[in-house]
Amino acid sequence: MNIVIFTPALKASAIGRMTCLVSRELSRAGHLVTIVRSEDEVFLAREPHPFGLELIAWNERSAVESRLSGADAVVYQVGDNYSFHRGCMEWLQHCPGLVCLHDFYLGNLFNGWAQNRRPEAIEVLQQWYGEAVASNFLAASSHASFVEETCRSSPMTEWLCAMATGVITHSAWGIERVKTSCAGPIYVVPLAYDAFDSASDIGHKKEEEYDIHLLTVGNVNPNKRAASIIQAIATSDLLKNRISYHIVGSIQDEVLHELEGLAGGLGVKLRVSGEVNDAALEQAFGNADIVCCLRWPSLEAASASTIEALLHGKAVVVTDTGFYSELPDDCVLKIPPDDEISSLRATLEQLTLDANLRQSLGERGRDWSSKTFTAKIYAEQVVVASRAVARARPILDTIGYFRRLISMWGGSRAGVMESLPALQVFETASRK
Amino acid sequence: MLEAEGHQVELVYLPQVDSPELLFQHMAAYRWVDLSSADRVICFRPPAHFITHPHKILWFIHHVRVFYDLWDSEYRGFPDDLKHQGIRDSLVAADNAAIGEARHIFTNSNVVAARLKHFNGVDSEVLYPPIFAPERFHCRQFNDEVVYICRMEHHKRQHLLIQAMRHTQTPVRLRLSGSGGEAYAKYLRKLIKEGGLGHRIVLEDRWISEAEKVDRLADCLGAAYLPLDEDSYGYPSLEASHAGKPVLTTTDSGGVLELVEDGINGFVVEPDPIAIGGALDRLYLDRARATEMGQASLARLQDLNISWKHVLQRLLA
Amino acid sequence: MKILIVNNMAPFVWGGAEELAVHLQRNLIAAGHESEVLRIPFQWEPASRIPSQMMMVRAFELVNVDRVIALKFPAYLIRHHHKTLWLLHQFRQAYDLYDVGKSNLPRGPEGDELRRLIRNADNESFQESKKIFCNSEVTKARLEKYNGFNAQILLPPINDPELFSGGEPGDYIFAGGRVNSMKRQHLLIEALPYADRAVKLLIAGPPDDQADATRLQEVVERLDLADRVKLDLRFLPRETYARYVNGAAAVAYLPFDEDSLGYVAMEAATAGKALISTTDSGGVLGLVRNFETGFVASPDAPALAQSMSSIFRDVERTRGYGEAARQLWRHFAISWPRTIETLLQ
Repeated sequence: MNIVIFTPALKASAIGRMTCLVSRELSRAGHLVTIVRSEDEVFLAREPHPFGLELIAWNERSAVESRLSGADAVVYQVGDNYSFHRGCMEWLQHCPGLVCLHDFYLGNLFNGWAQNRRPEAIEVLQQWYGEAVASNFLAASSHASFVEETCRSSPMTEWLCAMATGVITHSAWGIERVKTSCAGPIYVVPLAYDAFDSASDIGHKKEEEYDIHLLTVGNVNPNKRAASIIQAIATSDLLKNRISYHIVGSIQDEVLHELEGLAGGLGVKLRVSGEVNDAALEQAFGNADIVCCLRWPSLEAASASTIEALLHGKAVVVTDTGFYSELPDDCVLKIPPDDEISSLRATLEQLTLDANLRQSLGERGRDWSSKTFTAKIYAEQVVVASRAVARARPILDTIGYFRRLISMWGGSRAGVMESLPALQVFETASRK
Repeated sequence: MLEAEGHQVELVYLPQVDSPELLFQHMAAYRWVDLSSADRVICFRPPAHFITHPHKILWFIHHVRVFYDLWDSEYRGFPDDLKHQGIRDSLVAADNAAIGEARHIFTNSNVVAARLKHFNGVDSEVLYPPIFAPERFHCRQFNDEVVYICRMEHHKRQHLLIQAMRHTQTPVRLRLSGSGGEAYAKYLRKLIKEGGLGHRIVLEDRWISEAEKVDRLADCLGAAYLPLDEDSYGYPSLEASHAGKPVLTTTDSGGVLELVEDGINGFVVEPDPIAIGGALDRLYLDRARATEMGQASLARLQDLNISWKHVLQRLLA
Repeated sequence: MKILIVNNMAPFVWGGAEELAVHLQRNLIAAGHESEVLRIPFQWEPASRIPSQMMMVRAFELVNVDRVIALKFPAYLIRHHHKTLWLLHQFRQAYDLYDVGKSNLPRGPEGDELRRLIRNADNESFQESKKIFCNSEVTKARLEKYNGFNAQILLPPINDPELFSGGEPGDYIFAGGRVNSMKRQHLLIEALPYADRAVKLLIAGPPDDQADATRLQEVVERLDLADRVKLDLRFLPRETYARYVNGAAAVAYLPFDEDSLGYVAMEAATAGKALISTTDSGGVLGLVRNFETGFVASPDAPALAQSMSSIFRDVERTRGYGEAARQLWRHFAISWPRTIETLLQ
């Protein structure tokens, strides 16, 4: 199969890293893969992940067109970041394809895209969410709380998925909006990740070591719940005494001061490393006894850091929401978001006191995740989904033809097509 | 025939395309054909089976063949790539659904029935299509001439008969009648000339009227029909049978073999000139047997239930 | 050229448009073209299914066709690079019949959307057509009023003019064509008691339904006119119909507000017969001119009776009107060869 993949390739992109693994796997399986870098012009010179393939930039029009003309399948890796995925948006509209959807919330992507197309953007917002929501969205776009304000009412998932001939996403929690907007086939496929050869990482902690190392990884935003974790530790003498909390990930100064102040005041042992290199991150995972991957609210289709923690064979604590809810109950411990602090305290106490629990949880998590989050499975599913898209394509094109016809004649978008049950005979073919 | 039985009948002909790009557009259009004022709808060629009707009957005569049995053939005309595989797979899924809506599914031959089973997993009843006004055909005599009345096309293989005539030992004669391609007729004429067969072969490359056809079949020694892998038994062999004449065909003629049984109502021989020549001689030498086989041809029509009466009875069952 | 005539079909219904399509095909073939009629099924009930049938027509792809001549909605929506419309009908329910409340389209947003679809699709088709002809003044005016498109009038010719050679006037006035209340054959019978005893009437043609036939029979019986009225209510062989026309003293045709000249009047004029019609008969009056080609009466019994009596009172004048009708008709110069020429220009 001749596959063209639009993706950010620069090292800073986790999506790029995943796509790199998947495209190597696709090449290994005998497919001809072309990578089109989707990051903004300013990033195109940055070092890419080691794809081992020639990379074309999205703005090399004629090169891209010539690859597209011979393609069996076109795949777009899209996450909520316009500067990384700009090239996807430039091509997706004209050359529809399979979208690998990394976030169920795409407000930032949309905002970036909308910068120079205000009227078109307003039309899109109104079409999907109505006038009131549209104007709220526009008003909120400059607020710090933009994501919180818009994630429920106008996540922009529909806007993106309506352009897709098919969608692969990485968990099922946000899929309803995908279904209502994409007429093509939809697949849930576990995110691909490097499997670590990491038996040594598992909690072979010397019995006598007293401190329990608790780790949180990722950009330190309020939705990673670091403050809650500190508070939960503070409510328990046991935890205060034994847990040493380590945060790794880029952080703004004011947030850093805030968290350090909070921990200091409550007597919680806290170390914040900021952004680190791969080796240091590896080490942080290696040292950890427990990894806390709390999110609230949760917007992503899958969490790379959680998968990484599982692959490292660590005891992982998550919020019972979104992607995290879909993880097997015997591989992670889940914290209900409405009882966060006390539930977290109880869970951490249990883990602190029970080394066997930490170990068995970590082993199960590692076994399961190393079988699940593989580039091989992902690559296979890209092929399966591409075939399904090829099957759906003639039907989607036909429905699109009639839809355009009716709208040219001044008919309403929903009204006419929905009243035509006769076409359901094609439904089976288009949905899988 | 339905009208003769007192039913009101309307024939609906609608455009049909083969281009992969427009296939689904047309299939969708057929979904919207409103024939609700009819009590029964009988559908023949694709995409007619996409018509919706509470009492839809299929008399299925072929698929969109380039996506089915002709996929692996020179007729496909587009690449075997993911896009066209996708169209093919969707077509099969949609066909399955549309065929599934029918109250009854008939086919015109075992070959097509087997294809429906193979590709769509659908069982069907073979309903052999009779010819128009079969009573016109009759037998007057058995002269020295084997006739092949059919369009002149390469895959009908008139050339094979001419080549066979070079190997005959008897004065048996051959008449090839029918319109067709200029180039092929020219080729046939050249073969006749090269074989020095001009005095024993008549080549009529023109449109043959129904009356002429009836006459030729009434007088001939036997009829030949040797298409390459035909779907159904073909009208030429059916007309010959109605005229009570033996039918000469080849082992690779496909659906014709559903009608002709070797040594019973004709000869089925290898598709090579010597074998065909031998069969022509045998017809010439043993008139009694030719007559007998001609009778068997008529009987075969009965055995296979090839009649309008049966067709109507089944279609409206 | 390969010319495809595209018409609607309602299964098991055959009428004037179907006849016209067949004769158009026949005459195109006679003019040396290849021609077929494509009949596209169309049911206008229920109205909610109209859009899908419009899309259906639009989705058909015509290959191996040089020209298309389309006659009706939605058949004329068919796509072709060289499409000529000979408009017999728009979908009147979306236009003038809607305005006068005689439409099957619902009032309200749903109906508004249907009308918008039909109007836009119509306009698109009119726009892409090489040329638009209308079969009557009325159709042309309607097209102009509702869609703003100009059309040329192209009256449908008589299909078999050779049958209407004329003949000695007999002792009856003939009223032919479809029999129904809009064609008002009953008015002629009701006029008879006011007319001279010499006036006799022959009414012949297929009734739309049994009630239309029964109504006429009842009027004859009630007015005790069996000796002066002959009813031959059935689908007539063309020869029989032509014999009735050719042998008549005059031909009466009084439909209510007809769109076109009407075949009945055209055929009568071809046969050189004087014509009788009424002031509200619409397009027919293009051929029936008072005291010129016959009589135009107000649509009431006494007035009609006066005209009917006049036919027999001055036979020479009647003969003159008949001749004038023939000349007027010839003046229109409507024939199939000319029509074909115009359609293909």
